[in-house]
Amino acid sequence: MKRYRSVLLLELRNFLRSKTVQMGTIGVLAFAFYSFLHANQVIDQQEQTITSVPSVQKNHLQQVVTHGTGKVAGTTAYYPFFYTVNPPAPWARFALGQRDIYPYTLKVKMLAIEGQLYDSELTNPLTLLAGNLDAAFVFLFLLPLLIIALTYNVISEEQETGVWNILHTSTTHVGQTVAGKLLVRLGVLLLLTFAVFTAACLSLQLPFTGPTFQLLLVVLIYVLFWFTMAALIVSFGKRSSFNATALICVWIFLTILLPGIATIVVSSSVPVPEASETAIRQREGYHAKWDQPKKATMEKFYAVYPQYRHYPIPDHTFSPGWYYAMQFSGDLDSKHASEQLFEKLSQRQSLSETMSWFNPVIAAQQALNKVANTDLESHVRYLQSVKAHHRQIREYFYPHIFEDTPTEHLDWAGYPPYQPVGYVSEFPAAGILAILGWSFACLALAFVLFKRNFLTIKNLSHD
Amino acid sequence: MHLHYIKLIARQEWNAIFRGRNTRILYFSLLAVSLLAMITGWQYVGKFNRQQATAHQQVYDQWMSQPDRHPHRVAHYGYLVFREKSPLSFFDFGLDSYVGNAVFLEAHRQNTINLSEASFSNGMLRFGELSMALVLQLLVPLLIIFIGFPTIAGLKQNGVLKILLCQRASYFDLLVGKTAGLTAAIWILFLPLILISLFVGSFFLSGKIGVDNTLRILIIVSSYAVYFLSIVLLVVGVSAVSRSAKQALMALVFGWILFIIIIPKSAQTLGSRLYEAPNKIAFEQAIEAEMSQQGDSHNPNDPHFAQLKADLLKKYGVDSVQALPLNYGAFVMKESETITSTLFNKHFDRLIGTYRSQNAVSTAFGFADPFLAIRNLSMNLSGTDFDSFTAFQQQTERYRYEKSQRLNEIHLTQIQYRNDSQQKVGADHWQRMPDFTFQPLSIAANLSAAGISLAALVCWVLAGFGALYYISTKRHFQL
Repeated sequence: MKRYRSVLLLELRNFLRSKTVQMGTIGVLAFAFYSFLHANQVIDQQEQTITSVPSVQKNHLQQVVTHGTGKVAGTTAYYPFFYTVNPPAPWARFALGQRDIYPYTLKVKMLAIEGQLYDSELTNPLTLLAGNLDAAFVFLFLLPLLIIALTYNVISEEQETGVWNILHTSTTHVGQTVAGKLLVRLGVLLLLTFAVFTAACLSLQLPFTGPTFQLLLVVLIYVLFWFTMAALIVSFGKRSSFNATALICVWIFLTILLPGIATIVVSSSVPVPEASETAIRQREGYHAKWDQPKKATMEKFYAVYPQYRHYPIPDHTFSPGWYYAMQFSGDLDSKHASEQLFEKLSQRQSLSETMSWFNPVIAAQQALNKVANTDLESHVRYLQSVKAHHRQIREYFYPHIFEDTPTEHLDWAGYPPYQPVGYVSEFPAAGILAILGWSFACLALAFVLFKRNFLTIKNLSHD
Repeated sequence: MHLHYIKLIARQEWNAIFRGRNTRILYFSLLAVSLLAMITGWQYVGKFNRQQATAHQQVYDQWMSQPDRHPHRVAHYGYLVFREKSPLSFFDFGLDSYVGNAVFLEAHRQNTINLSEASFSNGMLRFGELSMALVLQLLVPLLIIFIGFPTIAGLKQNGVLKILLCQRASYFDLLVGKTAGLTAAIWILFLPLILISLFVGSFFLSGKIGVDNTLRILIIVSSYAVYFLSIVLLVVGVSAVSRSAKQALMALVFGWILFIIIIPKSAQTLGSRLYEAPNKIAFEQAIEAEMSQQGDSHNPNDPHFAQLKADLLKKYGVDSVQALPLNYGAFVMKESETITSTLFNKHFDRLIGTYRSQNAVSTAFGFADPFLAIRNLSMNLSGTDFDSFTAFQQQTERYRYEKSQRLNEIHLTQIQYRNDSQQKVGADHWQRMPDFTFQPLSIAANLSAAGISLAALVCWVLAGFGALYYISTKRHFQL
């Protein structure tokens, strides 16, 4: 046992001395630090913008009130925007996910909501295409490459240099030796992962709470998966160049081809014409009301807000109450299309969750984005909260609109404040299970193949 | 240089490639993937464009069947424009999934172009979408690497190189011959495929193949030919300086990762760091701040509009706006539309300028990374690039402005100031207005934007041959 330990130590020293290990580690570390820098900058900018919102809101409202002085609230109510914000969770710095795409400071007027919900952020589309550079990217894309570079020639190199034959004749513990070589690599890789992750925690200022450990768990299991995959390819007992080629092909297949096909399948099998339809219906639903009898529009409004029935609505002239009832009708008319749109979005989500069972890379990405609250589900939660806020605002101002309160007598900033969604913690169990399942499958297969390709040859030579 | 030997070596390399079993396996898997990419891309674009056309037809019909209305009502009823994908976009998706697909055009307001595919997708999109261009840009180079890595290094390892060099052929002849053989094989395997797919695909999408599309297709095919050549030169060069085939393979795979992942991402993040673009709030605040200086029609005490009113009253020699022969409300709106639109365009052009500067960093990196060069070139020619999208934004904004001003003109002349909101105008007034049709960028405009990327690719080829020549003169690369 003592000898085995010293062999392991020797192997470790040899391994750590190799250029690939040193260069690879330095490369990954350098890139990781650049990614921390970038992710911090992206999130810092978003937080800065979010911090500026209250003062922008205050000035805006003041200006609206100044301009509206002397008019009734119903006239002034057309102008103000009400801002909402979707602050990033602390873990968004680790996995930026879709935060660069989705808007995070939506502003709404008291008009129909459906036309305002899908406003996009101003961004450079080429930057979006190039994609984000964050810790998740380093772990998902680059670390597997390092794992491949460090393990592809674990046995084949010895065979190619002739060491393997000497080993075969001098020891009876070939299995132990192979296991030792692999374990040294696994140990170093896990240590490196842990080190990069710790660096990420420190420079991204991740709190030491549950979600951080969930991220760590996903990353460690993901490393384990790639290691077992590398072991599986090595267990075929082929030459180094075959191992390298095969592993690179697996990497491309899992990180580029399969997700690339999956994306097209998702966007073309669950198209969202409802998005356009919602916009068309809302616009038509609202504008058609101008040319229709006022009573029908008002009845739809009273069905939800019966308390305003006693306010008179003049039949032949414009009145603010009628105007906001028309806007409300626009939303009612597009309600079905809007619900279908959200239904489609959750279909897309569940379709990609199904796909992640077949691809550990997708599974890991979805798990990280889920923990970081930077996925589609989090954004949908934000959109729902904007809708809820829009309703609160309408309901705060409706009494003043129907009462014809003068603009200057109304507390324009007194509406219920917007409540951000807040962090939703959800353990990414399915993703972790998927990656674990794949790891075990690879490991089992590798074990069988090792036995057949490396250990039985020795028995044959004994015969 | 001995042309005879170069031909001989090229033919020998060609034969070796087509004899290899691995080549066949790799080629047929790539062929399958590219056909899959082509068919799914083609179906997707067709379906999407039909969806957009249906939405457009619906909006157009609604516009035409409006009853008699007050012109300002019509200005707020507005118009919805749906972006269709270009006929070659099935080949290269480019930025299509990241840019908006629909925009609501109304008076006084410049809305963003919304409903992008990315805004309705979860993170999976960020792995990239499988298009034929992706296969050609990423995977074909990898195929070249897998076929070509031992081309010289292998000869060194088994000692054949020394024997070859003792014959009359020079080392440079050998390198050029290998390059020619490998390039010819790759061209035969892929260029006809691209050519046929592009012609067939765009014919079935748009029902015709115009001169413009034919030209685009030919330039795309030649660009990919140059791209493949530059990759072959790289592979032969690296193989020639490597001591062993394994070393060549590792270096090439590392270079590939550098070229397709690390440099593109780093270049773009560098660009957005160097030229910081305002976010939406900052952008809107800047416009608002300038507007309150120039003239804000919603501000009852605005000096610009007060002056305008005084001038107008003086011009017509009346003492109240009610006595004017034109509708004063419409007059204010018309003036205000001009001010806001000019201001918006100024800020928007500046924003686009910032984005262009950011993207120029990536373009410049084309000289360090042939993948970036072909990516830009291919997007440009397929009409899925930044400029094409910007042209859409600018054309919709111009259309919005013209439509709003036409409606203001009707308001100005045909609606009395007194009891303004009670009046209506015949529906024929807006039925006569032209529909929006997107004018795609001309091939010349696309090419001039892609000029630097094209130059970068040509530089790669020249530098490649230069490097091969340099390698051939160094004795230690022959051992």
